[in-house]
Amino acid sequence: MTATAISTTALTKRYGPHQALRELNLTVPTGEIFGLLGHNGAGKTTIVNLLTTLMEPSSGTAEINGHDITTAATAVRRSIGYLPENVQFYDNLTLAENLIFFARLSGVRSVGSRISEVLDFLDFSGHENQRMGTFSKGMRQRAGIAQAILHEPSVLFLDEPTSGLDPQGVAKLRETIISLNTKLGMTIFMNTHLLAEVTKTCTSIGILSSGTLIYQDSVDATLKSFPDQESLEDIYLHIEAGQRA
Amino acid sequence: MNRWTAVIAHELLCTMRERLPQVLLAVFVGMVAASAFIGSSARASVTGVYSEAVRQGLTTVPNPFDSLSPLYYARNSVIYIVLIGALLAIVVGVYSTLRDRQARTMDLVLSRDVRPSFYLSAKLAGLGLFTALLLAVSAVISIACISVVAGRIISVDDGARLVGLYAVAWLFILPFLCLGMLAGLYATSVTSALLIPIVVWSVTIFILPLLGTAAHPVSLLNPVASPPAIQSGFFAVTSNLVNPLSLGEHFKHAGALILADPQATGTVTTSIWTILAFAIAACVAVIMTRRGRMRSALHD
Amino acid sequence: MTEILTLARKEITDLRRNRFMVVLFAFLAVAVVLSVIVASADFRLKIADYQHYVDALKAAGSSATAPEPSLFPLQMLRGGIEYLEIIGSLFAVVLGYSMITKEKGRGTLALLFSRPLGRYAFIGGKILAVVLLWVSTVAALFLVITASLLVIGNAPLHGGDYVHLFFAAAHTAVYLIMWSLLAMSLASLIRRTGTGLVLALVLWLVVVLIIPQIGDTMDPDNQIPGGLFASLQVDKSHEQAVMAHFTGYETTRDLIEQTSVTKQYERATFAYLGIKNEYNQQPLSFIWAGTFNNTLWLLAALAASVSTAMLSGTKKIILRKVS
Repeated sequence: MTATAISTTALTKRYGPHQALRELNLTVPTGEIFGLLGHNGAGKTTIVNLLTTLMEPSSGTAEINGHDITTAATAVRRSIGYLPENVQFYDNLTLAENLIFFARLSGVRSVGSRISEVLDFLDFSGHENQRMGTFSKGMRQRAGIAQAILHEPSVLFLDEPTSGLDPQGVAKLRETIISLNTKLGMTIFMNTHLLAEVTKTCTSIGILSSGTLIYQDSVDATLKSFPDQESLEDIYLHIEAGQRA
Repeated sequence: MNRWTAVIAHELLCTMRERLPQVLLAVFVGMVAASAFIGSSARASVTGVYSEAVRQGLTTVPNPFDSLSPLYYARNSVIYIVLIGALLAIVVGVYSTLRDRQARTMDLVLSRDVRPSFYLSAKLAGLGLFTALLLAVSAVISIACISVVAGRIISVDDGARLVGLYAVAWLFILPFLCLGMLAGLYATSVTSALLIPIVVWSVTIFILPLLGTAAHPVSLLNPVASPPAIQSGFFAVTSNLVNPLSLGEHFKHAGALILADPQATGTVTTSIWTILAFAIAACVAVIMTRRGRMRSALHD
Repeated sequence: MTEILTLARKEITDLRRNRFMVVLFAFLAVAVVLSVIVASADFRLKIADYQHYVDALKAAGSSATAPEPSLFPLQMLRGGIEYLEIIGSLFAVVLGYSMITKEKGRGTLALLFSRPLGRYAFIGGKILAVVLLWVSTVAALFLVITASLLVIGNAPLHGGDYVHLFFAAAHTAVYLIMWSLLAMSLASLIRRTGTGLVLALVLWLVVVLIIPQIGDTMDPDNQIPGGLFASLQVDKSHEQAVMAHFTGYETTRDLIEQTSVTKQYERATFAYLGIKNEYNQQPLSFIWAGTFNNTLWLLAALAASVSTAMLSGTKKIILRKVS
């Protein structure tokens, strides 16, 4: 395994005349929980779409575990897991049927035992035969993580994973993310708005403003670098304001 | 189970759990079964009318229905395939691709080691298998009902012709299945995804034949072909243009020949080649859909 | 009343700005005009054929005469009316269905129902919008039809013809409004939006296509191309004498057809336009008397659809059913 999980070089994405992402240079070492912060429309989801190969960049390159997202997209897809924002499933199918489908698409060999293992890990057993249409938001989110880690990816992308969850759901998800990182050794890349959660969950952060990466460092170093600011939220607002000025 | 069979099995499972296909399926199978009994009732009335005309000394011509085979009772099925079967295929196709866009599960699929063309081919194969099973069941029901109405088990030759009809029906349904899938992939809303292919279907079934032969839309619902307009002047031009596109008329023509309709003339080859060409073109159009299109968001 | 008018105005503005709906209506107009073009081309071919026949007779030195094909301009509308019957009703279903589901999908129902509206104000506004929309659309379609008859068909229209066209247009508006309201009711009543559309489409399929098709194929005269009686060389006067022995069968067939509101609409409209021969060139009073039942059934279907829409379009039902 390479020491760098994610790296981008001048990664750019344009939608017609609109530049969603401007020459992004980003490195996330293996084993990190990286939190990408930014205002609405800053380009966070665009980065995830590019790194998960769902979109192609307009220019620039990016690598996941040393595989180029454009020229080795298949290898990239084999090594990543992805949880989209507000994940949805086939509501007419049960949890088990949904997971079986995604496990097979990911080429998992012992599908049944792997699903049991994942559900046990997520403390989510007992819902296998329930139709997804009856699931609460929190249950869907856990099912979403289950589908993302079925094939044991080394890098996990989470797009606004706490969106719409209640405080208990957020706490539960935090525990899950941390154990995925510590117990299974996954590198995690997450977009989020909840700055308080970033302090508790992430090891490093990046701040994106209007498609440009304006800051990147570890959470500890960040907190130390801005002794005048009380919280990460204040630091974020300070950096953003500095960029605008 | 490999990826290919996983997608096929998934597609079958999802389709069978959708309510709309279930309802349309019930209507279709019910009408195929009813077709034989409607045919029987019509035949009995024609024989009665003929006997009465003979009794009143109004005619000396032989009963035009005397020499008809039991396949006559399946004639209405051809119309039900054109009407209900094609609509069912459209709806199943639309829901198949729309399902992934509505639930955003397309992102979950495409972030895996799955090529868009592979995924769409496997989905298409799953739906093709679903419609093949449906038509196989319909063929068995049709054979059973005709045997009941005719009072005897139909001959092997007639049975083979019925199976042939449903095989061509599968080919005929395939372009509509693909049309539905394409609408599900390209439309910007659920309503337009359902409506656009239904409009295309109505144009193919009701408007194109009118342009080529002056046949009235409602008369096209009758399995007995109406006499074509004189193929000169306006219609000589329009029929050359629209006839190859009148998929419904090609299927009805092929169906009439397969069912040994004495009024049907010509060969079945051109019609089958035309239907096949449409089926291939439609499948290619589905499979060539790009990743970005598959992921596009819906507006409702 | 003001709230109903406000809601109806919003609805019409919304639909007018919906490009998809505009395209659908344009498509319907094009289909109807095409059918007039085709009917007119067909008639010209018949005239040309007749002329060849007369010339051939003259060349052969025969003094025999043949009746010239007569042009009844309103009969050229048969294809167009059948399009309105089949495709028009399909559009009406989609229109009515989407008027409720778009509110559910956009989440604007809560915004509307959290205001002090009367119990039937919401659905009243929708119904008024549907009525205004279809009346104006049908009026526009029939103007296009009349213009295409005059210009493309080169057909002389007289005062009476315009009255007949008006009656056909009125029946068409009632028929299309009924379908929209029926679909609107199903969209309000059914929990899942997709299922509402399913039921509306299945109902459309059964009422518009399957029942008339069953009735049509049960008609003994439709069993042979060109007609059974023609193939048996039995003329019209004797046909009735033969069919008098099959009243039971014919009544059953008629009853099957009558269960379809589409057939009621078709029978009335075909009579006013003279497409059905027994009503061609007949006075209005004669047609009215002959098709009164059909008009009445059509109006009864409209009344039923208005009532169902009113009852199902209340806050209690719609909000309870939002999934």
